[in-house]
Amino acid sequence: MSAFYEGLAEIFEIPPAEIGPGFSLVDNNWDSLAIVSVIALVDECENLMLDGPALAKCETVADIEALIAKARGG
Amino acid sequence: MVEAAADKPGYSVPGVALRGVVSALPARRVTNEHFRGAFSDSDINDVIKMVGVEARHWVADDQTTADLCQAAASRLLDRLGWAPSSLDALIFVSQTPNQRLPATACELHGALGLSPTCQAFDVGLGCSGYVYGLWLASALILAGCRRVLLLAGDTSSRMVDPTDRGTALLFGDAGTASALEADAGAEPIHFVLGTDGGGAKNLIVQGGGFRTVAADARRAEGYDPGHLFMDGGAVFSFTLKAVPALVRDTLGRAGVGVDALDALVLHQANRFMLNHIAKKVGVGAERTPINIDRYGNTSSASIPLVLTTDLAERLTAAPMRLMMAGFGVGYSWGGAYMATQPLACAETLIL
Repeated sequence: MSAFYEGLAEIFEIPPAEIGPGFSLVDNNWDSLAIVSVIALVDECENLMLDGPALAKCETVADIEALIAKARGG
Repeated sequence: MVEAAADKPGYSVPGVALRGVVSALPARRVTNEHFRGAFSDSDINDVIKMVGVEARHWVADDQTTADLCQAAASRLLDRLGWAPSSLDALIFVSQTPNQRLPATACELHGALGLSPTCQAFDVGLGCSGYVYGLWLASALILAGCRRVLLLAGDTSSRMVDPTDRGTALLFGDAGTASALEADAGAEPIHFVLGTDGGGAKNLIVQGGGFRTVAADARRAEGYDPGHLFMDGGAVFSFTLKAVPALVRDTLGRAGVGVDALDALVLHQANRFMLNHIAKKVGVGAERTPINIDRYGNTSSASIPLVLTTDLAERLTAAPMRLMMAGFGVGYSWGGAYMATQPLACAETLIL
């Protein structure tokens, strides 16, 4: 279990085992507070700053991971 | 003279001393109980967990930022033993002036009985405003003023949408007064200032100015142009990007490391964000005072309010090395590194 998934589990207040690429953000209170928490989490885990509006458009954990990969590449 | 080292951003101003600071809070204290009913318990708990506000002070309908600042200024002048006639400049930093014109600073000049030779003007900045005010006051002193009164405050409670959970619980009201004076022996104050106008739309009250507010997407989504709009995610990413660099640049300008700091005084935007920044910058929680739990985000007043609530005893007892950072609406940011001598006064009034 990565620190990123553990952090996500804490943000969404669910058991870490439930977090995976297919986890639906939109079904789990994906609001501005959750978004800023994820921005800070990614900054901490990856030393990368995600764009708030782009993050808001993510629907699943896989979408966030794609954003991270893109930010890393760019 | 102001140094302009090409290799380091910012400015260093010698010969300016901070003598005292007074904050004034309105008497009406609003706890989170006030919002039960308007928001669900889980909404309120989410906000407490993230933003960290437990209580805030809000003005009465007939109370303005200028009223708070005037009371703070009167107390400050009294404590310092400064005659009103001895002031050379009054700067009023606020986004909640009394009216569109004249400048509220001119009204305050009259109310405080200042001299006709005293300049008075408004500066329309919020979160970064106190540091800009310190910079302007320092620059005025460098140019020949002897004594400058810096008033900074906001009554954001008057602008928030009471149904928007992202902002309704966040803000508190406060007015502050700081006294700066020419002092040949003072260590230079180091400043780094910046702006990113691309972020203007992310924290804005569109109404009340002179540009016609079009029926744009935000209004279609139900935002009233008279209320504060905040894109929390966008402002948050800006802050995490800008503030650690601002602290690094300001300390670099001053030629000191984080270990030299007695306190990192951050604009009280959001507790979660402040903890994150403190960790990222490498200054522990014990040197990063946070008072947002008791007073909310008080915009331009937040930095001086930390000085008079959490640091008052130390500031009046001993010299301190402070790094102050204001950041937000604009986007605009300012950092100041200042070595203070014991202040004659650091007090918080409740009106």
